[in-house]
Amino acid sequence: MADTGLIFILLERILSIFKGEMINIPLINPIVERLMDIPFVNVIVAFILWKPIFHVLILPGLIGMTLVLLFIIYFERKITARVQWRVGPKEVSRRTGGVIQALADGMRYLFQEVIVHRDANAFYFLQFPLISFLPVLLPLLFIPAGGTYGIKTIYTIPAALALISLIPVFIVAMGWASNSKFAYIGSVREAFMYFAYEIPFILAVVAMIVLYQTADPFEIVAKQWIPGAIMNPIAFLAFFITVLIATSRLPFDIPEADQEVAFGPYVEYSGIIFGLVMMLPYEKLYLLSMLSVILFFGGWNGPEIAFLGDLAPVIYLYIKTIVFMCVVSLARSIYARYRLDQTLRLGWGVVFSLSMIALFISAGWMAWLRL
Amino acid sequence: MKEYSLDIQVTPPKEYESYFIPVPKEFLEDAYRSDDFVVFTGPQHGGSGHMRLIIRVKGDFIVEVIPDPGYVHRSIEKLAENRLYIQNIPLFERPSIIDFGNYNLGYVRAIEDALDIEVPERARYIRTILAELGRIGTHLYDAGILAVFLGHTTGFMWPFALREYIVEIFTRITGTRITGSYIVPGGVRRDVDEKTLDTIKRMLTALEFRIKKFERVFIKNPTTIARLKDVGTLTKEEAVDYGVVGPFLRACGIEYDVRVVEPYEAYDEIDWDVVIGEVGDGYTRFLVRVEEVAQSINMIRQLVDNLPEGDVLSSDIIAFDKKDIRGSFFEAYADIVLPEGEYTTLTEAARGTLLYSIISDGESTVPYRVRIVTPGWMYLKGFMEACKGHRLADLQAIYGSFGYFPPEADR
Amino acid sequence: MVKVVKPPKKGLVRSAAGHLRAITEVAKVVVNPGTITVHYPRERRKYPENFRGMIMFDMEECISCFRCAHICPANAIQMYPNEEGRYYPGIDYAKCIFCHFCVDSCPTAALKRSKIHDVAYKDVDSMSVTPKQMNSVPEIVREDSVTVEYDFERDIQLIKRKEFENLLVEVEKPERPEFKAVPQYGDNCIGCRMCMFSCPVNAIKSKFEETKVILETDFNKCTGCGVCVRICPTEVLILTPIEEVDHQ
Repeated sequence: MADTGLIFILLERILSIFKGEMINIPLINPIVERLMDIPFVNVIVAFILWKPIFHVLILPGLIGMTLVLLFIIYFERKITARVQWRVGPKEVSRRTGGVIQALADGMRYLFQEVIVHRDANAFYFLQFPLISFLPVLLPLLFIPAGGTYGIKTIYTIPAALALISLIPVFIVAMGWASNSKFAYIGSVREAFMYFAYEIPFILAVVAMIVLYQTADPFEIVAKQWIPGAIMNPIAFLAFFITVLIATSRLPFDIPEADQEVAFGPYVEYSGIIFGLVMMLPYEKLYLLSMLSVILFFGGWNGPEIAFLGDLAPVIYLYIKTIVFMCVVSLARSIYARYRLDQTLRLGWGVVFSLSMIALFISAGWMAWLRL
Repeated sequence: MKEYSLDIQVTPPKEYESYFIPVPKEFLEDAYRSDDFVVFTGPQHGGSGHMRLIIRVKGDFIVEVIPDPGYVHRSIEKLAENRLYIQNIPLFERPSIIDFGNYNLGYVRAIEDALDIEVPERARYIRTILAELGRIGTHLYDAGILAVFLGHTTGFMWPFALREYIVEIFTRITGTRITGSYIVPGGVRRDVDEKTLDTIKRMLTALEFRIKKFERVFIKNPTTIARLKDVGTLTKEEAVDYGVVGPFLRACGIEYDVRVVEPYEAYDEIDWDVVIGEVGDGYTRFLVRVEEVAQSINMIRQLVDNLPEGDVLSSDIIAFDKKDIRGSFFEAYADIVLPEGEYTTLTEAARGTLLYSIISDGESTVPYRVRIVTPGWMYLKGFMEACKGHRLADLQAIYGSFGYFPPEADR
Repeated sequence: MVKVVKPPKKGLVRSAAGHLRAITEVAKVVVNPGTITVHYPRERRKYPENFRGMIMFDMEECISCFRCAHICPANAIQMYPNEEGRYYPGIDYAKCIFCHFCVDSCPTAALKRSKIHDVAYKDVDSMSVTPKQMNSVPEIVREDSVTVEYDFERDIQLIKRKEFENLLVEVEKPERPEFKAVPQYGDNCIGCRMCMFSCPVNAIKSKFEETKVILETDFNKCTGCGVCVRICPTEVLILTPIEEVDHQ
């Protein structure tokens, strides 16, 4: 008797913690009210609607990222086909124009055999694609989305930057565990690319932080009466080029060049592990797009929608991220691939000077505003 | 940087036992003892075509490249010894499938030389039109392969779509898209009507319209220029020493074109320029071919405008209807016998000089020996030498700029 | 007579201009695409009348002359006998290269071209088509309702018409004079009677007169196929055109 009473008291304590920071969506409030009266279900509902869990698991977290991945692959193939005078995938569900093509591909990967070759270090070979979800989801804790947030401090943007720069380590580790010639060459190239883009990337973000005089994303978004891209276009240009290098997109997809090193670090993967591994650059692109929307395009600003309440800013951020990703995916059809030493020269020459100029422009803005 | 050598007994790894590798064991052991890396870019690779390249790499720089061609060898010369002279025409146009005009011309001109057959004017003009269309088609195909080796997928799809224009014209003239088997000793198989000639002229205008777009996206793209400029340079003396032919020789500054040195068909009756370059690097080789496409378009326009009237089949062969060989094919060609001797022709195919040599014993309806030397085989050595000292990523760029096509080189 | 090409010089402004030109060109294509795809099998590409597709056969016109089997470069034609002993050609589509040398050799246009090009067979054995099967049109499942034709104005145009295209082509007989087999050099005859046995229509008769064999051709039956001419070991018979035969 006393045990059940203890459990109920424990549940009450947990429920009160969750209820303190629940997301408020007037659209589904009546259902939520109804469910709050049922004893065990109300804990689960309050848990799901608790702001950090909603942010990391549902939107813009795991489920939101999965939907974006399914969409962006299809969209990239369609837009590349449109530029190349042909029609992209359209047969899988013919009436809707083949929208579920990415889902069909994923299901096909599920049915293929995962081959672990004799020379590979089997433990790390299989584990690293799964562990690589860690550095992808961790920065999501720090990047807020207006209505929802993971951890709320004033140092979130530098923290997110530090965590995003962990991802190349995992890619190098995957190539190393594969123990094959082309994987080795690909890993070495990935390590070189890491040196090319990291400094200009940090400098461009620092330029924007200097412009807004704060590193708190909520204040940054509040200060953007005109989008950040117009306030400091040089920083936007430098940031855009480093986003292309960071996510291994053409013209800089040197580590995974199909014609030279036969996919680089990912060459020995097959089956569902291959599907997971191919998602990695797209997930990194998602994170960097969210960061760029917050810094340059007004984050979650937008007109109020009454019945959505706290969900409206999240949806604005989500849609703006998708639009930015679509524009970045167009770069694939315009350019050929640069060589490794040319990329290093570009990164430390042109892009570095662009970000230094951006820093000076920000300093100029700050001086003008202070006066 | 100081280098220390270690004299340890090194055994090459398992890969030497499991594959058939056409290099001696000492080569691999030597590479393993020093700091080099041996990479097998084999036939199943995104960027190697149908041949294997064994690359010895020191860091990121190529020390040497050993080619392993022969994966597509179909023994065409041996097969030709068991077939009638006329049955070899579809056989010899298979190495380069869209350039069939030039490949047919070389063989058929050797037969006409032996039997002393005179070809009427109209047929010579039509044959030249086919040869030039094949040249444009091959240069577009090579541009597409160069683009895909550099990673530019749009630059791959657009030339192949433009090749579709050429293939449509081939369908209207010969009846099939590629490998037309249309040129026979004494002329061509059937006549071309007015509607098709009009379509050819309109197609050339449409082609120029889209090539301008292609130029802005791929040819003048800064990434392409950065990848190809000063890459794989061959000097004049090196090019002559290694036996490079065709537009790749002209890109090094040497003016040699078989159509000017020994003109055949209708080449000395129209007005055109030989395209040469000054620096023998990858970008110049590419630009020479782009300019040759413009020259070919100009040539076809002149040929279509000045096409003379007349028969398309010679009076030296048995043909009951001089405008269409249908119905008299067997009587004309089934039992031709060449007089004893050796007959050689040189043709300028799209990728270089093409040599045919027929040896006949004077009595049989099948040739005793046919020898064909394709341009790809002739410049393979120059291609391998141009790679030395460059980075690993440059190998694909040099491959694309040479336009090496294994089925043509292996015959 | 000689045209020299020069690569462009390098420079920051030049490459920035090159970047801008490439990006605007692609942006223009995104807004206004120039798609040239034919959505097969719901649309079908219209080919010209002289397209080299599958080969149709008319058994009534065939004179069993063996010319097609002789000339085929891929050895794809096999002659099948019917019940009376006459031979008709059957094509093995696993070997045929669609060069249409056989169609060009046929003296009576028994072998005809058509525009059919997409027939599928279930196994390799059924690809050796017998003459009876070649006499009728192969069975194709067609899902198309629109034909697309490429035409060129300033840019490529796709002309789409709502029609169900007839894939068979009307072909007329080639112009050639009629030939008959005449035993011209009767002195060479050695009496083997191979010509008599090989004639598909039994048009040659032989008479034995004292020490020589005299051959006689029935000119009403003779179709000018030329089998007897090719098979004779001593070249007795010659194919002569009709005007000269009348003179004899």
